Amino acid sequence: MSATLEYFQYVLAPQMLIGLVLGVAVILVALGLTIIFGLLDVINMSHGEFYALGAFIALALGSIGLPFWLLLILVPLVMLPVGYIVERGLIQRVFHTGDRHVTTLLLTFGLGLVLEDTFRLVFGPNPYKPETPIGGGVDVFGIFIPSYRLFLIVIGAVIIAAVAFVVYRTRLGAMVRAAAYDRHMAASLGVPVQHVYAGAFAFGVALAGLAGVLLAPIYTVFPTMGRDFILMAFTVVIVGGMGSIAGVVVAGLLLTQIQAIVSLYISPVWSDPIVFGIMVAMLMVRPQGLFNRLGHG
Amino acid sequence: MTAPILEIRDLSVSFGGLRAVDVVSFAVVRNSITAVIGPNGAGKSTLFNLISGALRPRSGQVLIEGLDYTGRPPYRMQAAGLTRSFQITNLFFDLSVAENLRLAAQILEPLAMAWRPVRASRIASARVDELLHRFALAGKAHYPAGSLSHGEQRRLEVAVALASKPKILLLDEPTQGMSHGDTQETAALIKSLASDVTVLLIEHDIGLVMSLSDHVIVMHQGQKLAEGLPAEVRSNPAVQTAYFGHA
Amino acid sequence: MRASHVLVGLLVAASLAFAAAGAVMHDTFYLRLATEALIFAGLALSVDILLGYTGLLSLGQALFFGLGAYVSALMLMVTPSFWVAFGATAAVSIVAGLVGGFIVQRVRGVYFALITFGMAQIAAKIVYNTRALGASDGLIGVPVININLGVASLSSASPAGFFLFVLAIVILFYALSAYLLDTPFGRLLIALRANESRIPFLGYRTMNARLAAYVIAAMIAALSGSLYPMLRGFVSPELLFFATSGNAVITVVTGGAGTLVGALYGGLLLTVLKSVVGSYTEHHLIVIGLLFMGAVVFLPKGLMGIVRPAIERWLSRERKP
Repeated sequence: MSATLEYFQYVLAPQMLIGLVLGVAVILVALGLTIIFGLLDVINMSHGEFYALGAFIALALGSIGLPFWLLLILVPLVMLPVGYIVERGLIQRVFHTGDRHVTTLLLTFGLGLVLEDTFRLVFGPNPYKPETPIGGGVDVFGIFIPSYRLFLIVIGAVIIAAVAFVVYRTRLGAMVRAAAYDRHMAASLGVPVQHVYAGAFAFGVALAGLAGVLLAPIYTVFPTMGRDFILMAFTVVIVGGMGSIAGVVVAGLLLTQIQAIVSLYISPVWSDPIVFGIMVAMLMVRPQGLFNRLGHG
Repeated sequence: MTAPILEIRDLSVSFGGLRAVDVVSFAVVRNSITAVIGPNGAGKSTLFNLISGALRPRSGQVLIEGLDYTGRPPYRMQAAGLTRSFQITNLFFDLSVAENLRLAAQILEPLAMAWRPVRASRIASARVDELLHRFALAGKAHYPAGSLSHGEQRRLEVAVALASKPKILLLDEPTQGMSHGDTQETAALIKSLASDVTVLLIEHDIGLVMSLSDHVIVMHQGQKLAEGLPAEVRSNPAVQTAYFGHA
Repeated sequence: MRASHVLVGLLVAASLAFAAAGAVMHDTFYLRLATEALIFAGLALSVDILLGYTGLLSLGQALFFGLGAYVSALMLMVTPSFWVAFGATAAVSIVAGLVGGFIVQRVRGVYFALITFGMAQIAAKIVYNTRALGASDGLIGVPVININLGVASLSSASPAGFFLFVLAIVILFYALSAYLLDTPFGRLLIALRANESRIPFLGYRTMNARLAAYVIAAMIAALSGSLYPMLRGFVSPELLFFATSGNAVITVVTGGAGTLVGALYGGLLLTVLKSVVGSYTEHHLIVIGLLFMGAVVFLPKGLMGIVRPAIERWLSRERKP
């Protein structure tokens, strides 16, 4: 009996915590992705690069002495106008063509390439490791958790809850959901659809950027960090249901926990294929994912 | 006693709690024109979807010449000789008028022809020319279907359904949105089809129905309300109530 | 269509001249680079069959390309015979294509793009971590082979000779694809892209047509890949990475989706660009990425959207007395 408890305390629980940290970060990134899809019908292939952009901006601002706490607020704020401009200036140009799904996918794919190489140009190809803002650890029910990771989990949960609150319980959220459901109807009811679209895109990439800032001390910062991360985010969005916030939260937690626990028993090398396998299986069986799209159902 | 060319027995389907088609039965006589009419929401298009294989019924049967084709997918229905046109124009808008027809006519060729150049499929191209003339679309043969006027598109809809020389042709509101002149022309066209094909059509234009059909089926709230000769149906009080409100 | 023929003719003529010049100047580098460009053009061709015609964006065509490369390498290390390697790749790619096609059968649009992306990533990860396949280093030591063509034989080590051989194969793929697309089968694929929902009502099973297109594209990608180890003497997991698939998509879109010849010229352009820009800066991706984005926004029909009509006009003018 105590052997199982010990196993839980020293092996399973820490692993689940690692999964939870990743889960919270993935949810933050995937939230942006799913909001952008749910609202604009756009697959943002450069979303991973916005995640990276957040981390790099934090790096740059941090190197001139700004404290971490300020970065957490500043970086998303900086990314909002960037996202707004990208949506209005780039995505809107192809938005009204017939095969806009493919075109916007290709366009954002190109954007991702450019961003990635720009990081390499400005910062070099080698990883940077920012200092962990909160050192040490705490003991929670006999399980040791590094303080920063605990902070991450808490702040992540708060942000996710805040987003859900705004979307489902505020007037702004109602406008967003209306525009997602039927843009023409929403427009004729006075919802400023163009601004809602651009704002949603801006918000989505700002969330990704915030995740970048938060995760930088743990995963380090390097030009291709977006590419590695985005696969997990896409899987979460697909399994949870494109455009569903609840889906992202559920799938995000589920998949990262599965990955964390599986990697205890099988070589971690296989945990990615298994997660992708779940995505492929989901696309075969129920392509629309577990939950319904924002504004629908 | 030969089986009717098309027979529907107790066909039903529900969407959630709504009985869209509720135990509908009727038989269609070969080479006749049968009209299905009824107020909006009566279940006419749903009925067509059930018959053409677009939708699976919850219960009931669809029989073609006595053989059971219930719930078969659309390509099987076409193989059995049943095709349909759509209420909302469902053409290949980016492709030319001729190509739209050729795609539908290609099925007349043996399978092996699929791997030879298109121009080798003489049977199909002959059929295309025939249809282009019959439906007065020869002048627009190489135009994209999307560039045609509404009336021309509706004509093309019917032509595409007819291209594969079906036995049974389901026409879903063929004159929808057409001008009066176009409607009359289309009516004449449909009348001329009856010698080759059995026609089942959904129509809202009562005048058209009266002049064109041999047999009329009235639907209301998913059920078959009445059927018979056009004049009989028109004077049926239950039908009048359904259309014009409660007495 | 005539414009496409002119363009292909031009490509062949230019290639022959290039090969002759290269042979005379005893060049190996540029000839080998051009051969590699042609091999990747074959991959681009397979992407165009899916994207430009059937309307399916595959972000993971490198899966079949890499599969072909590895199968070919493995075969060649056992028997240094071109036909065995090529034949084995063909057989394996049909099976893989059928399996892949089954997996994606009910998937459309962006989901298709993502599922192909995922499949390629899984395959890449598995190969990357499999010791027997050389893991991250890949397989090296693929021998030089003599290709027996009946009337003559050529060595894969001969820069000009192998270049011309690969050119012939890629042009063959082009010709086969172009022929297929002018058959009722090919037209059906185009119709699938135009309006899939109507197709079953015309009497066709969309599933079979899509599967056929997918398998054909898989074969062309794999057979192109099979030529890679013959050229370079090794294969590595990079051939399966997203970059390979992504490059192919960029090639097709910039060249012009749905033209086939756009895939060939696009590949050429991309290789030239990479070399030229690459000699100034390491960051050629920025330039290529920007050009690609420009193509998507301003040239939705790709370069071919401008070049072909221009050639058609020139041809009509030539005909007038």
